[in-house]
Formats: sequence, structure tokens, C-alpha cells
Amino acid sequence: MTALAGAQDRMHAALIDPLADPDAAQALFATGGRLGAAGGLAVYQRGYFLRIAACMREQFPALCHALGRALFDDFVADYIRDCPPERHTLYDLGRRFPDWMEANRPDPQVREAWVDFMIDLARFEYSAFLMFDAEGNEGRPFATFDTDDTALRLQPAFALGSYRFPVAGYYHAVRRSEAPTLPLPAPCHIALVRSDYVTRTVSLSEPQHDFLAAMLAGSGVEAALANISASYGLDPGEVERMWRGTQGSRERWIEWRFFVAANS
Amino acid sequence: MAAAEDALAGLPRLGLGLGLRNVHFDAILSGERRDLWFEAISENFMDSGGRPRAIIRAVADRYPIVLHGVSLSIGSTDPLDRAYLASLKRLADEVRPAWISDHLCWTGVNGHNSHDLLPMPLTEESLAHVVARVHQVQDILERPLILENPSSYVRFVQSTMEEPAFLRALTDQTGCGLLLDVNNVYVSCFNAGTDPLAYLAAFPCDRVVQMHLAGHQDYGTHVIDTHDCPVRAEVWELFRIAWARTGGASTLLEWDDHIPDFDGCLAELHKAERYMAGTAAPLEAAEPANHGEGVSNPVGFIIPRAMDSVMEDAA
Repeated sequence: MTALAGAQDRMHAALIDPLADPDAAQALFATGGRLGAAGGLAVYQRGYFLRIAACMREQFPALCHALGRALFDDFVADYIRDCPPERHTLYDLGRRFPDWMEANRPDPQVREAWVDFMIDLARFEYSAFLMFDAEGNEGRPFATFDTDDTALRLQPAFALGSYRFPVAGYYHAVRRSEAPTLPLPAPCHIALVRSDYVTRTVSLSEPQHDFLAAMLAGSGVEAALANISASYGLDPGEVERMWRGTQGSRERWIEWRFFVAANS
Repeated sequence: MAAAEDALAGLPRLGLGLGLRNVHFDAILSGERRDLWFEAISENFMDSGGRPRAIIRAVADRYPIVLHGVSLSIGSTDPLDRAYLASLKRLADEVRPAWISDHLCWTGVNGHNSHDLLPMPLTEESLAHVVARVHQVQDILERPLILENPSSYVRFVQSTMEEPAFLRALTDQTGCGLLLDVNNVYVSCFNAGTDPLAYLAAFPCDRVVQMHLAGHQDYGTHVIDTHDCPVRAEVWELFRIAWARTGGASTLLEWDDHIPDFDGCLAELHKAERYMAGTAAPLEAAEPANHGEGVSNPVGFIIPRAMDSVMEDAA
């Protein structure tokens, strides 16, 4: 290892875990100046955590609200020690956070519902955050009511998720500056879709979720409807009414720009 | 290298500019076009498929822009990130910046990114390392790279060179240009207990393409490069000297935390005109608001405060 590589390796290790190498500052840095070696390194150590914690709070505002800032920051400190940032984009900071929370849950023996809620909320928030900058369909045409079913395809800025708690309602309440209480468990299915750079959060029934999941996997409308009919033991005519009827999904989802028209 | 130097000589003098920040997007794109240019944080836009990419295209249609990176990590001993450079090149081909800049720093090693601008040991070994990488980057980007002096809070015991001499050797050997941040000069020199005027006297001002202005917080024992307040009077004075020595380099105000509205930033920027004219006595600057724990090189402004969103119930 060169002298340069050695210096960088040791300084970086001292940022990630300030307590691991108490001799790092004196070994690396001159003692002169107003801060001294330890004081100077401390500026970088403190900045490393504060900078990333600020970004994580922006990526997970509802989770920060739910945990309280102090506990949220504690989680972040442990998270970035175990999973130091890897990519050049700050948008990637939270990618591993939900899985890290699951692997490091504070209730490994007897699982508590509130921990499940926090993990689900983290998963939802990161999905919603990613939607902000995902490849989208802005500037190009969307499907219309007249588009034939055989041409309907989900647009690129679209995501699905299933959760054990009504996380989307909690998230939007925090976004409205309300102070929601932690919700009781209730399975929910969510679609996220973006148009005109505005993300829409759509609550779905389980069959609706499965229909859209089939389309996300590449099925056409007809095959996805057949899949629902078979999975839920529903009469094909009933499934067709759920799709095209007056209370059906088709019109609303086209209005909310779920779809583009193939070859448009 | 001669080609890089020729390219450097041909770069425009853009006058006064502002850092392109999310909170100003609407103000920038509405109303009359102003005599202004913008510096965009490269990483905020280069992988974007959403509104940021659309915004930078629209801004580039109306104003001169430059791309300013924080993750090139030119000084790291990790391999150069080819995917990063390819993405940066694609963005540059799309928005045609007047130039591309980053910092004389490293941001991480061993595959990690600290998202900080970490200082280099200033040695012959470091110089050779950075020279080789600047050549590679300039070949990939097909233009001279512009490198900024970072703010610093330490000096490596290994260091054998002063920063101005290091940068002079770097630009001599690569043809790269320099971005002189006078606030960083003040911050680094104050913390090191050295003379910022001596730093400026030694700096290769003939290679300066751009200058940065920013605010810092004074904690008595030390100062932090927080970019969260107006430019301090002592930094304006350094700017006056440096602007003349660079022959009027393009000048940009960075404001990255507790960001005022667009008109507030413009008002701060235009204070520079008094110093460019060489007629101003040092400003009686108000004591900046102290925002508590100061972070050097804040990056929170890069993260959008989520998106506009609505909730529907289809179930």
C-alpha cells in the first residue's frame, strides 16, 4: 500500500468509526493550527454523520416523525457505520436502510408490531423517494380512454408495494404537517405513479394489485384479467365489470396516467 | 496538454452567477431572462430521469451553465469511476456547460463515498497520482477539467508542499484550470493559522477560470465552511484582491443551507460588483445568524424535500 493509500484508508476508517482508532489523528495530521490534529479530524467525523443524517431525514421524513429525530439519528448512525455510503449519488443513501432495519430490529426474540410498522414505512418512503427522479413519461403521450386494451402498457414511473400497515396514509399525514398516531396493522397495497412530475399514491385492493403486478411482469390486460379470475375464483364477467364497469378501474387508471399506449 | 491549455484560454468570462438550487427552480424559469449564469451540482442531475433533468435542460436553454461535481474523487486511490464519468459526459453533451469542475480532494476509498470533500496529503506522490488521473478525466470528458481548492481543517504530517504550489504544478503538468474559492482560502488559512494573503500571492491566478464566494460560520476557535450565511467582510476583501489578479474570472455565489429566496441570493451576489469596480470599502457585514451545529460542505440541499404528491383511493 502506498503512503497516499495508507493515509486515505486510515482517515476514512476514522470517519466511519470514530472510536475504532484513537491514534489516527496524531498519526495522520500535524498538531499545529487552531484545531490541532484531533480537533481537525473531529470536524470531518462530525460533518460525516451530520451531513448524511440530514439527507436521510429528507429521504425518510415520515419515519423520522414516527421515531422522533433523536432515535432516527441513532438508527442512522448505526446504519452508516454498518453500511457506509457506496454510490456517488446521495439519492442512494437510503437504499439499504429498510433491510438493515429488518436485520437489526430491536425485538429479535418477540416481534413487536411497531417495529414492523417502522420497517414498512421505511420501505414505502424509499419507494416514494425513488419515484421523484425515476425515468418517466413526461413529454410523451399517455394512453387515452380510446386506447385498445391490447395496447395498454404500464408507464415507466410506476411501482407497486404491499405492506402490513396503512403506511401511505401515515406518510401523507406527515407531509400535510399533521401529527398522526401510529396505525394499527391492516394489510395495504399501493401503486405509485408519476405524471407531470407529481407522484400519485393509489390504494389498491388485493386483486387490483395482483392485476397490476401481472402487467408489471409483462402480461397484457387480457392475460392479467384471466389471472385474477383464476386466482380469486371470480366469474370472468365479474372481472370484466371490475375492469370496465361504471365503478371499474380502467377509466380512473387511464385518467391517473397509469398507462401508455404501445407503439404510441 | 497543449490542446487542454488552448481550450482553457478559450473559456468565456461569464460575469456573475448563482448556484442552481431546487428552491429557486420556479423563480429562475419564470419572468424575464436575467444577466446571470448558473452552476449546477453535476450529481444532482446526471442520473436524473425526473424533474431535475427537465429543469437543467430548461435552464441551459436560457442561461449559460457550468457543471460542478462533488464526487469525482480525483485524489482517491480507488480506481476512477468510469460509469460516473460516462454519465457526466452524457449530461455535458446534453446541456453543453461552459466547463466542468470538481475539487482537489478525495471523497472515499475501498468502494465507499463519504460525501465529503476530504483533503489530500500534499506530496510529490499525491501530485503524480492526481496528474495521471486528471489526464484520464480530460481525455474522457474531452475538455479541460477545472479543480477547486477545498476548505480544510487538517494538514497531513506527510505533506511537503503548500496548496498553491501543488495546484500550480498540477495545472502546469495537465493544462487543467482552477476554481479559486476565496471563502475556502479564508477558512483553510484561518484554521491553519496561516496568512490568506500569502496564499493568494502564491496562487496561480493566471489559471483561474472561476471563483467561488460563500459564507462561513465563526466559532471563535475555528471557522467552518457552512455556505449558510452571507459572505463575510474578510472574504469580500480577499475577493477584491483575487478578482483583480485573475483578470476578472467568472464569479459565483454558493448558498447551500438556510437558502434565501432567489432575490435574496441575487442581492448578496451583486454586492460583488462593488469589489469588482475596486471602489468599495470593506462592507460592514452584519453578524451572520448562527444556525447551530455547522457542517462543512453541506449537501442536504441536493436532496429534494420529496415531491409534490397526491393520494387516491382506488380500492
